[in-house]
Amino acid sequence: MNAPTLQAFSPVQPDETRPAELALHHEVTQFYYREARLQNRRQARQWLETLVDPDVHYWLPIVEDRFVRDNRAAPTPQDPAIYNDNYADLSNRVDRLETGLVWMEDPPGRARFLVNNIEVYHTAQEELLGTYCNVHVYRNRRQRDETHHFYGREDLLRRDESGQLRLFRRKIMLDQRVVLDKNLYLFL
Amino acid sequence: MVKVNELVDVANGIQSKRVFWDQEVYEQELERVFGRCWLFLTHESQIPDFGDFVTAYMGEDKVIVVRQKDGSIKALLNSCTHRGNQVCHADSGNAKAFTCNYHGWSFGADGALAALPMEQSAYYGQLDRSKVGLREVAKVASYRGFVFGCFDPAAPSLEDYLGDMAWYLDTWMDGTGGAELVGPPMKSILRCNWKVPAENFIGDGYHVGWTHAAAIKILGGPLAGLAGNAEFPLDDAGLQVTTRHGHGFGVILDGVGLIHDDPAYREYAYANVPAVTEKLGEWRAKLYTGHWNAGIFPNCSYLYGTNTFKVWNPRGPNEIEVWTWTLVEKAMSPELKAEVVKQAIHTFGTAGTLESDDGENMETCTWSNRGPQTRKGVMNSQMGQINDGEHPDLPGVIGKNFIGETSYRGFYRFWAELMQAQDWDAVRANDVAWKEPLIGGAVKAAGRAA
Ligand code: FES
Ligand SMILES: [Fe+2]
Repeated sequence: MNAPTLQAFSPVQPDETRPAELALHHEVTQFYYREARLQNRRQARQWLETLVDPDVHYWLPIVEDRFVRDNRAAPTPQDPAIYNDNYADLSNRVDRLETGLVWMEDPPGRARFLVNNIEVYHTAQEELLGTYCNVHVYRNRRQRDETHHFYGREDLLRRDESGQLRLFRRKIMLDQRVVLDKNLYLFL
Repeated sequence: MVKVNELVDVANGIQSKRVFWDQEVYEQELERVFGRCWLFLTHESQIPDFGDFVTAYMGEDKVIVVRQKDGSIKALLNSCTHRGNQVCHADSGNAKAFTCNYHGWSFGADGALAALPMEQSAYYGQLDRSKVGLREVAKVASYRGFVFGCFDPAAPSLEDYLGDMAWYLDTWMDGTGGAELVGPPMKSILRCNWKVPAENFIGDGYHVGWTHAAAIKILGGPLAGLAGNAEFPLDDAGLQVTTRHGHGFGVILDGVGLIHDDPAYREYAYANVPAVTEKLGEWRAKLYTGHWNAGIFPNCSYLYGTNTFKVWNPRGPNEIEVWTWTLVEKAMSPELKAEVVKQAIHTFGTAGTLESDDGENMETCTWSNRGPQTRKGVMNSQMGQINDGEHPDLPGVIGKNFIGETSYRGFYRFWAELMQAQDWDAVRANDVAWKEPLIGGAVKAAGRAA
């Protein structure tokens, strides 16, 4: 199988026999909607500081088109990846946006994040939740510059000391071999 | 035929804006530039064993690049000789045969037709298999592990095509015993003409401080002074180079690792200087610790010192598919390689902090010429022209500073030459005098309307 596995990324897996209870599921849904709203409003700093865990690993592997019979290993975080970021890397990206010198975002573009198919599971570790969801980002810039990206997320959310959920692991499965856009400078 | 002399004025450093837009120009480029030049395919390390393959583009043509039983490499047109279907749809892999989806013709790794359904009952054994192998690209060769292909049998050898550029390439391809690419490549779309990023990478030191102001500011390090094109001491900071067949680069001396400002990488590079000096001499040792923005004509570009390696595959006059690998030296430790890959992708990958700045300009440079009145104008590449000349120690034509457009002018000089030439013999006829229009130019056309 060519699909990168979350195992390669974290030993902790969602336990699909233990779905979250209604209230917990609601809490996670609100987490994602809030995340989407912050991205829609381009509040990347607030997203980073309020929703992201300091030990985050944020990963978007390169997935080749390979024949089914190809038995090479799926990509791991040791392989080249479009995103392979820790907190400092993400923070560096946010810093760039805040310099006031990013001409491509002046005038600012528009992005709309739609998050759905949210599934939430317990894991073997109390403080970690495993989730799956699907995302559609619509990006519109400079009058008629328009792109769509569809992808899946496989996340681990960690509850911090204050009880807040934070993004701890994110694996982004982009459904495009060739990224049909000039860049992916978006917090997916 | 396109009137090429109306598109490029080499001596005056001027190009028509049509070179970035026109369909007719593009069709002629596919024949005369992509049909004749050596085009980058892959690195040998990506296909080490018999049957290992990658698929690639040569211009708009799709090819399969495959390692043969005897260790050589072939490039085969990725098009079935029965009814033309694409025979291989994978990015890479290992195959003893490529079987067409349409009717099941099956070609060996060497491209020969190996089997077909109903050979006896439908063809009565009459099909001459030897005539219907996959078409082979006329020439495939490697330079220090970097594999190129060429459709034109009359083209010079890869080594001659690289010419003086090979002398420079050895700096990083051979200085420490070899370089390689880490893949698989990222792939993305830019809605731009292929020449816009090619000319940018071949020598645009001028845009770095402005286009990348935001990224440079947060990267810090010695380059931070460039943010916003603040004053920068130019004299002796670097130079520009262009060679016979349009290859070239701009180099910032002592610039290795500048964009990443990674102490481990800089230490590695500086520790190699004595060995590189011994092997390749003083000048190349000096270039070895430089930062290069560089191009191998026509559509292969790289940044040495930031370690990104790209091919701009044309997909029509106003769209390209960008393929991006990371460039590493074989002698680097696995840890350093991993760090270099990470940094290269963070800056020049598909979500890169500098890549995203560039993409914007590439597209706008192209699409602004959609307007026919705009397209009647010209573009200016006169920067530094007055200082271009020969150098006692360095081959090619040399520009005095790394912020200059010497390598642009060399790129378009060769582009125009190829676009006008009937064949490679006509190009060879210019071998002696090629430098003339590039050298000693005062800015003759100052004041010519843009
Ligand atoms: S087109 Fe390939 S077998 Fe017919
Ligand atoms: Fe750039």
